[in-house]
Amino acid sequence: MAFAIPKTTYTGKIKEVVLGKGPKAITVGGETSYPFHLFEGEMPHPPRIAIEVYDTAPDDWSAAALEPYRDVLSDPVAWAKKAAAYGADLIALQLVSTDPNGLNTPSDQATETAKKVAAAVDIPVIVNGSGSPEKDADLLRKVAEACDGMNLVVGPVVVENYKQIGAGAIAYKHTVAANSPIDINLAKQLNILLGNLGVPDGQVIVDPTTGGLGYGIEYTYSVMERDRMAALTQQDERLQFPIICDLGKEIWKTKEAKAEDSPLMGNAAKRGILMEAITAQLLLLAGADVLIMRHPEAIRLVRGMITDLMA
Amino acid sequence: MGKHKVTFHPSDRHIFVDEGENLLQAAMEAGIHINASCGGNATCGKCKVKIVGGAVASPMHAELSDAEYADGYRLACLSTVTGDVDVDIPLESQVDKSVLALKGDRHAAPYLLSPKDIFQLVQGWDVDPTVFKRYVELDPPTLNDNVSDLTRLTHAIHRQHGINGISSDFRMIMKLSRLLRKADWKVTVTLVQTRKGYKLINVEAGDNRQQNYSIVLDIGTTTIFGQILNLNECKVAACPDGACDGATVFAMAEASDYNPQISYGEDVITRIVYSQKPGGLKKMQETVVSTINGIIDELLKMSRIDRSLISHLVVAGNTTMTQLLLGIDPKYIREAPYVPTANLIPPVRAVHLGINVGDHVHVYLFPLVASYVGGDIVAGILGSGIFQREALTLYMDIGTNGEIVIGNKDWLASVSCSAGPAFEGAGIKFGMRATRGAIEEVSINPRTCEPMILTIGRVKPIGICGSGLIDAVAELLEAGIIDQKGKFHQNLPTKRVRKGEDGYEYVLAYKNETRIQNDIALTEIDIENLIRTKGSIYAGCKVLLKSVGLGFKDLDQIIIAGGFGRHLDLEKAIFIGLLPEIDARKFIFVGNGSLLGARLLSFSKELLKETERIALMMTNLELSNHTGFMDEFMAAMFLPHTDASAFPRVQERLRARREAA
Repeated sequence: MAFAIPKTTYTGKIKEVVLGKGPKAITVGGETSYPFHLFEGEMPHPPRIAIEVYDTAPDDWSAAALEPYRDVLSDPVAWAKKAAAYGADLIALQLVSTDPNGLNTPSDQATETAKKVAAAVDIPVIVNGSGSPEKDADLLRKVAEACDGMNLVVGPVVVENYKQIGAGAIAYKHTVAANSPIDINLAKQLNILLGNLGVPDGQVIVDPTTGGLGYGIEYTYSVMERDRMAALTQQDERLQFPIICDLGKEIWKTKEAKAEDSPLMGNAAKRGILMEAITAQLLLLAGADVLIMRHPEAIRLVRGMITDLMA
Repeated sequence: MGKHKVTFHPSDRHIFVDEGENLLQAAMEAGIHINASCGGNATCGKCKVKIVGGAVASPMHAELSDAEYADGYRLACLSTVTGDVDVDIPLESQVDKSVLALKGDRHAAPYLLSPKDIFQLVQGWDVDPTVFKRYVELDPPTLNDNVSDLTRLTHAIHRQHGINGISSDFRMIMKLSRLLRKADWKVTVTLVQTRKGYKLINVEAGDNRQQNYSIVLDIGTTTIFGQILNLNECKVAACPDGACDGATVFAMAEASDYNPQISYGEDVITRIVYSQKPGGLKKMQETVVSTINGIIDELLKMSRIDRSLISHLVVAGNTTMTQLLLGIDPKYIREAPYVPTANLIPPVRAVHLGINVGDHVHVYLFPLVASYVGGDIVAGILGSGIFQREALTLYMDIGTNGEIVIGNKDWLASVSCSAGPAFEGAGIKFGMRATRGAIEEVSINPRTCEPMILTIGRVKPIGICGSGLIDAVAELLEAGIIDQKGKFHQNLPTKRVRKGEDGYEYVLAYKNETRIQNDIALTEIDIENLIRTKGSIYAGCKVLLKSVGLGFKDLDQIIIAGGFGRHLDLEKAIFIGLLPEIDARKFIFVGNGSLLGARLLSFSKELLKETERIALMMTNLELSNHTGFMDEFMAAMFLPHTDASAFPRVQERLRARREAA
């Protein structure tokens, strides 16, 4: 008797979400099986990769991380164009300088940056605030208004500011990245709240909070895995959203990614790139639909893996 | 006494009430909103209604003009139902019919639950108090009959009452000779049944049988409750000045106070830690006893019963509270593998603990099950009658520790979860115990965001108790004033939602409508505390049920105990996800479960054996190392719950409400 591969039966489907506008707009989600389980269901849209762009020149990056962007570090628009040239599917503009505990760049000024970057590229743009719930509420509302109709992804949207940012996303038609602290219940609660507020399902993508390799990746992995199980096999409708993982910044801030060359630790550049690629790989296997990454070489490795697994 | 039909227009909702029911209370029970912000105290004048048919007894009031009065206008809080009546709700109080239609039909199912007592809950027990009095007349001694006074007395008891094998309390012997002679050999003896037979503990002059009282105490982590029981009549002693008509509280001799150990820590763990400091254990023991003495003083004063007439004390408390009361070092309760000192504790002489009652009085302590399942829960199981039923019952004691038991007469399993004292009013900015002046019922008009509040004793409010909190949060959610996370929406058309010093809050009563120098408001932090408390209890129930392979739908009955108030509004408790959404008829509310069991044990000594059987039968599931609990807890930290499918009716109401907005 021939061996039959046991198959999981799925009852749910991840919602499809369109990011960006125009010919380069992309669709994510739509899965009817676990990631890359193409023998069990469909994965109509391959996972996508966004490249990070910062609104201010970073002062704590390792040489390996700086190298690909050395000439554009203080010009977000040029940086975005360069990222696009590296083959990014999306640009992830990180407005870190708005952090009230840092440079505290005014929202209006950061909004101008976002507007310029979004206008300079034809691929979809993710605009991330600094993670300060109060400041982001103000900032992302203004970004939403200034970029009316461009269908950005704005985030991180948290339970403390979902009302303000959600309202902006509804009014000016953007997608929200709903961020919760590595907990499936909290993720679902935020999705419910956004739904109650009136944010259409096609404008929500889930950011479960990403830990880097060796820095809590197992928690993220397990929460994402349970998220997909609930969405696909337990008809948990409020979890059937694509997942976005903001991992580049998590990897490159680790001690291991920053340490110099040494006999024990080996080549610094290679080390950081591999850590980023492996983290990305794990997150893809857990169910990520969009990855926010930093190093072009790591991205090349991950693309290879996606191509192989989608074949 | 016939029931009267009260019909409210224009919604045409009706309810049947007893003669003499207050009209505002009737409206609340029917789920009809009428603006009222003074607690039913007839000062705000907002609860104006028009009587369009039938009649109520209702006086004139400064807020009503002569013309209005002649036209049929009345203040609902001043009106007493005397017959069938039709009431028109004024425009400013009206709630859309579509919204009202979503509320449970209170005429069909009883949603506002009042506590059931042992007579309704427990079957087939005989009134036979552990401590009882007998009148005896002795033949005076003569030279021919010169046996000792004590032998003379025990012989007389045997002859006149057939009671044999009596042992005696030493302190009673000390006063015996003089008392017998002074009483002309006519005395009343107090006997107590012990494991080894009867013990003679007290002798009083003359016939004093009519005056046999005991005190029952519930030593909670946050609150201590006490009642005086009339052992002859098998009920809580009455207060001479009290009446029980809703407006007058304290009809019965019951009193409560916060446990003063709170100042050494809000939960049992921090108290155990404190008890390990030099002198800490003694200090904890003394503070709790001083509060017990305060409560006893208050009980005696309100019931006008003399201290010497108290012959028995029954105490139910959780394991830590029991050990701290006795001065037993609780150190090992906190350390794995979590072992209490003793489960069955013999009676202790009250005066030895410093409790201010006669020196013949002994304290009976409810047996304990485990470190975190104490005598209070055993008392609850006894008093609610679960131990004798076939029906599969879930028992929830909603206190600082949420204690949950499932089972029936054949088996019992329990969990204990740290819930927090929100329902007892602690950790809530304007929280208070369920005593006079506490807001106990709340309704909020979703269109105007105006409240309808009723207080215990119908006086101006001074705070809010557990039942009021449940109502308030449910109503804020249903009115769309807070979201499912318990956070306030902004830009609502009301001044009652505002930013206070603790963040956003909703004003239940403005300063001039209260008896305190402050607006009474419910803050976002209060709501957070409440959500944490209810989430913990719901999660505890879920985990307990799951661990025995059951779900809420399998239950025949749910018994709810807790000190949150005089009533429990089931519909609202379900709406916030404190209780599961199952058939309303399956719920029973018993109020304070520990006192329930303590009363039963005071009235019927045969149940002492049952009490020990309950304690031995109960299997405790430890949640502190349970992997699923935290997950269930996070899922329950939402209004009503992250799993919408568990609350389909609430979900439907929330959806309809959003569409109406």
